[in-house]
Amino acid sequence: MVPRIDAELCIGCKRCIEVCPPQTIYIKDEKAIVDPEFCEECGFCAAECPVNAILIEFPSSMNT
Amino acid sequence: MEKYPHIFSPGRIGGLETKNRIKYAATETNFPFSDGFVSDREVAYMEAQAKGGAAIVTTQGAYPDKRGEGKGFRGMMAIWDDRFIPGLARIADVIKKNGALSCVQILHCGREGGVDLDYCLMPSIVPQKLSYFKPPREITKEEIKASLKDHIEAAKRAKAAGFDMIEISGIVGYLISTFISRYTNKRNDEYGGDIRNRCRLMTEVLQGIKAETGNMPVGIRLCGHELLDDRGGNTIEESIESFRIAEEAGADYVSVTIGWHESSQSVITRDVPMGYWLPVAEKVRKNVAIPVMMAFRQFTPDIPERAIAGAMIDFWEMCRPMIADPELPRKVAEKREDEIMPCIACNLCFSRLYYHQPIMCSVRPTVGREKEPEWGYYGFQKSSRKKRVAIVGGGPSGLQCGVVAAKRGHEVVLFEKNSVTGGNINLASLVDEGAVELLGPIRTLEKECRKMGVTMRLGEECAPDTIKAGAFDTAVIATGATVRQFPVAGNATFLTPSDIMAKGRKPGERVAIIGGSGAGLGVAIFLLRQGDYRITIIEESGKIGRDVNPFYLWQYVRLTKARKAVFLMNTGVERIGEGIVHLTGKGTNIVEADSVVTAVLEAEKKWRDPGIAGEVYFTGDAKRPRRFNNAIHDGYRLGMVI
Repeated sequence: MVPRIDAELCIGCKRCIEVCPPQTIYIKDEKAIVDPEFCEECGFCAAECPVNAILIEFPSSMNT
Repeated sequence: MEKYPHIFSPGRIGGLETKNRIKYAATETNFPFSDGFVSDREVAYMEAQAKGGAAIVTTQGAYPDKRGEGKGFRGMMAIWDDRFIPGLARIADVIKKNGALSCVQILHCGREGGVDLDYCLMPSIVPQKLSYFKPPREITKEEIKASLKDHIEAAKRAKAAGFDMIEISGIVGYLISTFISRYTNKRNDEYGGDIRNRCRLMTEVLQGIKAETGNMPVGIRLCGHELLDDRGGNTIEESIESFRIAEEAGADYVSVTIGWHESSQSVITRDVPMGYWLPVAEKVRKNVAIPVMMAFRQFTPDIPERAIAGAMIDFWEMCRPMIADPELPRKVAEKREDEIMPCIACNLCFSRLYYHQPIMCSVRPTVGREKEPEWGYYGFQKSSRKKRVAIVGGGPSGLQCGVVAAKRGHEVVLFEKNSVTGGNINLASLVDEGAVELLGPIRTLEKECRKMGVTMRLGEECAPDTIKAGAFDTAVIATGATVRQFPVAGNATFLTPSDIMAKGRKPGERVAIIGGSGAGLGVAIFLLRQGDYRITIIEESGKIGRDVNPFYLWQYVRLTKARKAVFLMNTGVERIGEGIVHLTGKGTNIVEADSVVTAVLEAEKKWRDPGIAGEVYFTGDAKRPRRFNNAIHDGYRLGMVI
């Protein structure tokens, strides 16, 4: 799953950018944004985020 | 004459006969839903495994408790309520329909559980070493009894869902293993103490399940060698004893595993030789009368064939080799071994689980997409229009794209300037022991290209005009990455990874490597294996090896640090001088070096002329330098849409 970044929580610290293997995260208006074209869905950014602003959302059987 | 008579001889588990000695071993996928229900993707994935020809196909571990203390993965399958039975039955059906015995694994993740909670359960509080895991809470005696009941109820549901066999998992840090291990079990009650007491939960689970499920075979996976000697883990004698106790408790087979997830030793990476762990299984086999199985670095059939013949194991288990190619057993049986897409032990599948993502495979992009027709797992639909496709570059991306495009009916011509295919994988295969395995998928892809009628023009330099002259509908630029050109002062020179690894250029003693991602680290490891180089790695970001799988990164960092390599982080390069590199950034502003290697990769800049063919695409490193898996996946996806 491509991670979703909660802009309200994001503090723009850029740690996600540092660990992103394909370098596909950038900052716009001081918030991180994932460019889905190169996203490998590795989840490294979510693990690194100090404020849990990066979410990997698993689908529930209820939503299908 | 059968080449692998032992692998393809019938076996026996409890009262069941198996058609051969191959078992697809339990593998978490993260494909099920977050609430534990089986998804279509999971069924499709398991169906592919069942069709592959293994005698026994095991499901992923299913957690048996309502609270989710046993749940170790966000998309882990559940078996804690009757409402999960219909989904589980879909998997049992799809396995049995394809001629395999269906085995469901019941797994309480223990020390690695509680993925949706803020704690995990353990016999005693022993702090976690790995940050992915939750802080431990000591399990009470009432909770042990409840967990025992959960396991037994889960087994009843497994039977109701129609499975042929049940497997319990007690390995790597999962609940039962934490009781068995001295490292994590410090209890003073009857569940702690000597090895027999520490095995009490396992014994009660096995006996309880056997009592409820009649003549259904019940097996267990246990740790043969914890590799926790540095932390007071079990002795090997204690581990072997746990298998004897399992047999006594009624287990119908045992699977021998190695290491815990927090062991500080390589277990399943490429540096571990094939079949390395078999002597541990042999030790177990000498101590029990029930069938013994093992997975762990047995990727080619000659290894388990010899091991079964030599009475080291009775069954050959596989996870990763069958993620990479579910048809592996059939291809071996039909003497089509050279068509197997080999696992490269990159552990992308594994690492994704710990970053809360569904599994992916570097060499098989179709994982979890077996039932989506456009992915072509069971064959592609031909494209409505046959195109003439030129592929420039015979690395992983070009080869993979060629295979898929040809399967879809296109006329494909592949140009490769070298006389061999593989591109930069030829360099990667030289980095360290075992890296040669990276060439396996290249060989398979090249063979597949030829089989599909791709015209292979090797050893032929190809220019934009070549493509223009060829009147191609489509051009795929798969030329790989180029090395970034840093400003050079005076007569200063620099080397590339290819100069050192392929062309045999010997650098001086002090080597400055610009770029600390996979390419730069690879050069460092390569050099340190050749001699006592004094290496400085200059990396512009704050993270070393950010594109290297964590399973390998820790090894590379340990090795380079042990050899006194210096890492200059958050440091850029202003220019390369004679015997010196001028730096930008806050710290040191120069590095003196006898040789400079530039290992910062950039996307291809040539080939940007859109007029060379009707449509032009970039793939793999030519699009953006990344890793092997990206090259393969890019090529595959592009082949699907050309």
